[in-house]
Amino acid sequence: MSEKPHIVKSYEEQLQLLKDTIVKMGTGVEKQLENTIQSLVKKDISLAEKSIKDDELTDKYEINIEEQVVNLIALRQPMAIDLRETVVALKVSSDLERIGDLAKNISKRLTKIGTDLPNDITKNFEIAGLKASKQVNAVLNSYLHRAKDTAENVWNSDEEIDQMTNSNMEAAVKHLEKNKKDIQKVTQLLFMLKNIERIGDHATNIAEQVYFLITGDYLEGDRPKG
Amino acid sequence: MSKIKAENVNVYYGSKQALFDVSIDIAEKEVTALIGPSGCGKSTFLRCLNRMNDVIEICRVEGSIKMDNLELNSRKLDVVRLREKVGMVFQKPNPFPKTIYENVAYGPTIHGIAQSKEEMDQIVETSLKKAALWNEVKDRLDEIGTGLSGGQQQRLCIARAISVSPEVILMDEPCSALDPIATAQIEELIDDLKKEVTIVIVTHSMSQAARVSQKTGFFHLGKLIEFGPTDKIFKNPDNQQTQDYITGRFG
Repeated sequence: MSEKPHIVKSYEEQLQLLKDTIVKMGTGVEKQLENTIQSLVKKDISLAEKSIKDDELTDKYEINIEEQVVNLIALRQPMAIDLRETVVALKVSSDLERIGDLAKNISKRLTKIGTDLPNDITKNFEIAGLKASKQVNAVLNSYLHRAKDTAENVWNSDEEIDQMTNSNMEAAVKHLEKNKKDIQKVTQLLFMLKNIERIGDHATNIAEQVYFLITGDYLEGDRPKG
Repeated sequence: MSKIKAENVNVYYGSKQALFDVSIDIAEKEVTALIGPSGCGKSTFLRCLNRMNDVIEICRVEGSIKMDNLELNSRKLDVVRLREKVGMVFQKPNPFPKTIYENVAYGPTIHGIAQSKEEMDQIVETSLKKAALWNEVKDRLDEIGTGLSGGQQQRLCIARAISVSPEVILMDEPCSALDPIATAQIEELIDDLKKEVTIVIVTHSMSQAARVSQKTGFFHLGKLIEFGPTDKIFKNPDNQQTQDYITGRFG
């Protein structure tokens, strides 16, 4: 359904502000994730540090969105599409905050172990990380453009990251068997790989929310899992 | 189970058509809310259910409205008997300028329901209890009903309506003149009454429709645009006009 503007302009403005804040938060989280992954790719630890620092802003956005949502519910009693818009914003902001947290966690581990890491594993990490970033970007676009099909694609393609994570973890363990001296670094990398997989899960959660926002229905069936 | 089934109801005020082919199934012992902008026909439809439109000379009702297979739109229908079965509560509390007791006893008296003073006392007490007013008025039943507060007056009108044990109660914006506490009391009462009675309520308050009803119908320009479970109407209506109205995008 295409929406006409509300009769009460201030209500229209409040809902628009909520959408804009989600988009801003999402853009920030995308940048955080990009810096985290590029820190390893470019062997530039300052990018990881930037990602850690930027997580403060992500957390602030989450609180701000929560305040906006509580105000809208208390003062406007949104209905139908507006109710979905409001509830979905709360849930999406929570998933975005988790993505930011996971990116920060990866960055923290990087600052501990440095960027001089086994090449085969970092390559795997890079591929999975870029795939997760792509998923986050796609799902935010689906939110921005109200694109149901894009949300469904994200939902359906999370299994690729799951599969990557499984094989990457196996590869890391194999590497460890041959290179016992790397135990500290590889242990950290295992957590980092797992975090990438979790980021994919949160992108999938957001896809479910965007689908609900647009259609009012829930994505049905079991999500494909790797 | 359906209590009232309206099919292709058309209503005219002189040459002006007010309702167009309205068909609706009103479920028994549920609350059905009718919403829509002023002049959309929701009150006109409500008034078809107890033949209140009969008092408007130029009004003509076509189509079928059946209550338990009884055709309400038949000329042969005993309208007085119908109004015993289908009570009504209006926007503005309108107790009679009589005592609280007499207000409630009026219906049972004209319909010859009570056989004795004791029986009438019992009906008055039960009706006032069901209307959640008994405790507030039991010591002053001989005081004039119009002396009560607005919320109490409305509950008195509900007690008056239920005193003849109706099967259906029609409410036309029953809370629009009441404060939030009195409104909550009426809404609690509606919740309670629906265990025994079918209720149809016209309201301009979206949140009230959402709170009290199980089914909601949206009227616009004399047509029933959408009718369905209340949660569906307020979370994800099928019709764009319904959504525009309930979200405040109308016009």
